[in-house]
Amino acid sequence: MKRLAFTVTFALLAAAQAQKVQTPVPIGVAVAQTSNTALLGQEQVIGARFAEKFLNARGGINGTPIKLVFQDAAGDENSAINAFQNLITKENVVGIVGPTLSQQAFAADPIAERAKVPVLGPSNTAKGIPQIGEFVARVSAPVAVVAPNAIKQALKLDPKIKKVAVLYAQNDAFSTSETGTFQETAKAQGLNVATVQKFQTTDTDFTTQVTAVLNADVDLVIVSGLAADGGNLVKQLRQLGYKGLIIGGNGLNTSNIFSVCQRYCDGIIIAQAYSPAQPSAANQVFVKEYRAQYKKDPPQFAAQAYAGVQVMVEALKALDRKKKLAQWDLGELRAALNKQILAGKYNTPLGELRFEKDGEIIQKDFYVAQIKMKDARTGSFVFLK
Amino acid sequence: MELSQLIQNLLNGLAIGSVYAIFALGYTLVFSILGIINFAHGAVFTLGAYFTYTLVVGQFENNGLLKGVNLFPQGSPLSGNPWAFALATLIGAVIAGFVAVLVERLAFRPMRARGADPLLALVSSLGVALVVVNLIQLLVGAEIYNFPSDAYGEVRPALSFQIGDRVVIVRTVQIIIFAVSLAMLAVLGYVIGRTKVGKALRAVAESPGTASLLGISVDRFILITFFLSGFLGGLAGTLVGTAFGVAGPYFGVTYGLKGLAVIVLGGLGSIPGAVVGGLVIGLAEAFVPANYSAYKDAVAFALLFVILLVRPQGLLGRVQIQKV
Repeated sequence: MKRLAFTVTFALLAAAQAQKVQTPVPIGVAVAQTSNTALLGQEQVIGARFAEKFLNARGGINGTPIKLVFQDAAGDENSAINAFQNLITKENVVGIVGPTLSQQAFAADPIAERAKVPVLGPSNTAKGIPQIGEFVARVSAPVAVVAPNAIKQALKLDPKIKKVAVLYAQNDAFSTSETGTFQETAKAQGLNVATVQKFQTTDTDFTTQVTAVLNADVDLVIVSGLAADGGNLVKQLRQLGYKGLIIGGNGLNTSNIFSVCQRYCDGIIIAQAYSPAQPSAANQVFVKEYRAQYKKDPPQFAAQAYAGVQVMVEALKALDRKKKLAQWDLGELRAALNKQILAGKYNTPLGELRFEKDGEIIQKDFYVAQIKMKDARTGSFVFLK
Repeated sequence: MELSQLIQNLLNGLAIGSVYAIFALGYTLVFSILGIINFAHGAVFTLGAYFTYTLVVGQFENNGLLKGVNLFPQGSPLSGNPWAFALATLIGAVIAGFVAVLVERLAFRPMRARGADPLLALVSSLGVALVVVNLIQLLVGAEIYNFPSDAYGEVRPALSFQIGDRVVIVRTVQIIIFAVSLAMLAVLGYVIGRTKVGKALRAVAESPGTASLLGISVDRFILITFFLSGFLGGLAGTLVGTAFGVAGPYFGVTYGLKGLAVIVLGGLGSIPGAVVGGLVIGLAEAFVPANYSAYKDAVAFALLFVILLVRPQGLLGRVQIQKV
């Protein structure tokens, strides 16, 4: 009996201990480290690691270091849900940066919402992400804000554009959301959307869609997909003889696309929420470090993941100043962190960021870039004025 | 439908159909000899593409145990002209053939030795397939890898024909696939129909017991069958890879399912049937209106269902006569 009482007491004490905030302070990162989506996710891993190294070198949270806990969210909803559950219940993280895809966010964010754990979407740009719940915010500007810039830029490059073909991955929430924005913008700019083609992110053969595009005789093609399928589609468009301008959506906004469409990537126009030329001090340090290690400019996905971690850390700093983090209960801290994230103003590599009440990002600066291939495998995003 | 559109769809269908056909040839070979479906064929197809990629590019960049490996910093000698690439493709296919032999040793022979139900062999080959696919992912990650666009040398990426006032275009790589598939079919037809090895294979397919009494080493010919099947699968993998990219470790899985539909449609165990089945399914997919192209797979399997209702033995299959 005595032993039982002792065991129960010990278990309760252990549970109470587990509910205190650990040090180093664990922040979850649930992005795609495998599957086709890893093309984007691995850049996010790099960006998050940079943030961890840089922010810890500067004293972390007022002297307390942070520790990023990575879980592979792959490219599907189930993996994202599992990753979130592990981070929340096993790793006891204070907040989560992730997942990679909007489609996954719609499935996994409600898990965090129920557990009252703040989530920052690093690359979820579909409509309705912040509205998933009070604990969901994002550092990735919604597609409705970013995408129209690409069409305006294409019209600057070629004012004679009249007919447009739109292609999108219909099994991907982000792509279907993005294509809606592209189509509305095209119509608003007085362009004729001559054909709308659908495909799947798992497709490899796009002959049918490309044939329809060529028969529609268009001056501009707009592709909303992910890097692997989108890159393949661009390659086949070019191989089959399409010579006009191509706009790529956010899913194609990664240097990993270079190895997919190779020299055929040349000339793709992409609207971006990040530029290595962004003059903020935070960005210049980030760009310098990234270039030193990877011999190329950092991509948007890395910068956004960096910004996600930075926002969490700065909000934690503000809370730590009110009351030392070690004295908080985990649940209490998670709720306070969520409020603090939305209240702050942050100077990140993306420029100045703030948040709406519902968690929507307020970002000042946007850019449009065009891919320029140096040879079959290496290229760069050249920023268009 | 305009004539140009019809011809364009026809070309698209023949190109993708020939891929299905060459893939299904390997399936059907094993079925005709052993009467079982080798589910590891899709994994061997994937491996063929990866072997050739390793010989031609040899760079693994993203994740997996081989991350950062670059076998040819100065560029591979097996890339950049059609003959070098053909050699790399052949080597890749031969290695894939040996992998298929290994699969036979691991997944099929032990079952045969115990006189196990063919269904067990099917399940064990499925197990091998999953192990292979996961091994690929462990080694090179789940990324899409691409052959250099000049892998075949400096050929024009597409050929175009004027039909009336419209232009019909076909990718060069698809013409190459179509030609190689036809050549493979001819070679296979010759080997099976006209050579001693072919005769022995047919004897083993007809009755392993009798073949054995005639002095034919049944086990050796089963190995030869698996090698041929793996060779064809690996070759198909590389061909598809050059057309559409090596789309991750699972990219053979889709073709595996499609290949199954093809051999059932063409007639189980029929080599010409595999080719006809492949072309029919390819054409059916190509004629799906572009707006509904995401439903191509559903159309292919619906067609299979309809044809089997009319001809249960498949297009070129033989009706099984049971003596009572």
